[in-house]
Amino acid sequence: MRLSACPREKEVKDLVELGQWPQACVQELRAHVDGCRACGELALVTMAFQQARIEAAGAAKLGSPGLLWWRAQLRRRNAAVERIGRPILGAQIFALAVYLLLAVGFVAWQAQHGVAWLTWMEQLPQLAALHLGSLWPSVVSGSGWSSMVLSSAAATLALLGGVAVYLAAEKQ
Amino acid sequence: MAWEFAIPNLLARDANLDVSRAAVPPMDDEAFAGFYQRSARSLWAYLARTSGDPTLAEDLMQESYVRFLCATRREEGEVAARRYLFRIGTNLLRDHWRRPCTASIEEIPEGFFARSGGAAQADSQMMLGPAMAQMRPRDRQLLWLAHAEGYSHHEIAEVTGLGSASVRLLLFRARRKIARLLGEGKCGREL
Repeated sequence: MRLSACPREKEVKDLVELGQWPQACVQELRAHVDGCRACGELALVTMAFQQARIEAAGAAKLGSPGLLWWRAQLRRRNAAVERIGRPILGAQIFALAVYLLLAVGFVAWQAQHGVAWLTWMEQLPQLAALHLGSLWPSVVSGSGWSSMVLSSAAATLALLGGVAVYLAAEKQ
Repeated sequence: MAWEFAIPNLLARDANLDVSRAAVPPMDDEAFAGFYQRSARSLWAYLARTSGDPTLAEDLMQESYVRFLCATRREEGEVAARRYLFRIGTNLLRDHWRRPCTASIEEIPEGFFARSGGAAQADSQMMLGPAMAQMRPRDRQLLWLAHAEGYSHHEIAEVTGLGSASVRLLLFRARRKIARLLGEGKCGREL
């Protein structure tokens, strides 16, 4: 297919778009359009589309720009809130992951060394009866699992503390 | 407390980012209302005539404006804004055509059929409507942008995302085809 544009196409298009075709057109150009296929097609198509545009634009039922403005503001606000919420959610997931990791580690460690804390639970009433202060050193220096219990408790406290701070900040 | 005050740092950071990219400041509501009044009819006409569905055109037009307001633009001025708006509309229309069609006949409003087959059809629609219905969606878009909106090949390329050379070739073929269809339509009515 040959893409040969007629040099007078722009002239014809301008006249049609200005609404001056064919009344305000010189005879010489009209004769050219009658003989030139490209210009004839251009005039026909542009006239049809210009007319259709005028009619379609007149039939448009326009809504309120204020409503669209409000919808856009709402969408922007939601996007901003989502952007803020993303790191907080990440921190929560991270805290939960650490906590679960510790719990899994503790269970694994217990499985390897036997469930020794059950015997400690049996001795607890006697220890408490003897002296409450003696409980702490025995826990700390007693066996390896006690440090695991402490770290789990610390992680739980940290998690709960974080949630409490977050809720307090949100309330403010 | 308003959310803007609760997150000042985040907003300030966003504002700095926008400045560094030389983005156009967003329109205020009054400027937008003026721009809407000047551009909405053209956009609706484009969407309605290329999709053949006035209800869809209304939905897409509203979504186009909302996205336009939410987007960060790079070029300033009414002409660029208008072009950007048409680009959003074109993309939305393309997304709509790509989506699998699930509408049943009961879901299509009766007004749609009345509009396309009623006795009070405008003359241009009687002539252009059947011809447009035989064109491919992309050709309808190209023809409308070129001959109804008066966009250049370069501008159409920006709106549609096609290359300028492709636009020239596709438009040439589409124009030839629709001219033939319009000619046949004219002859048919005269007989």
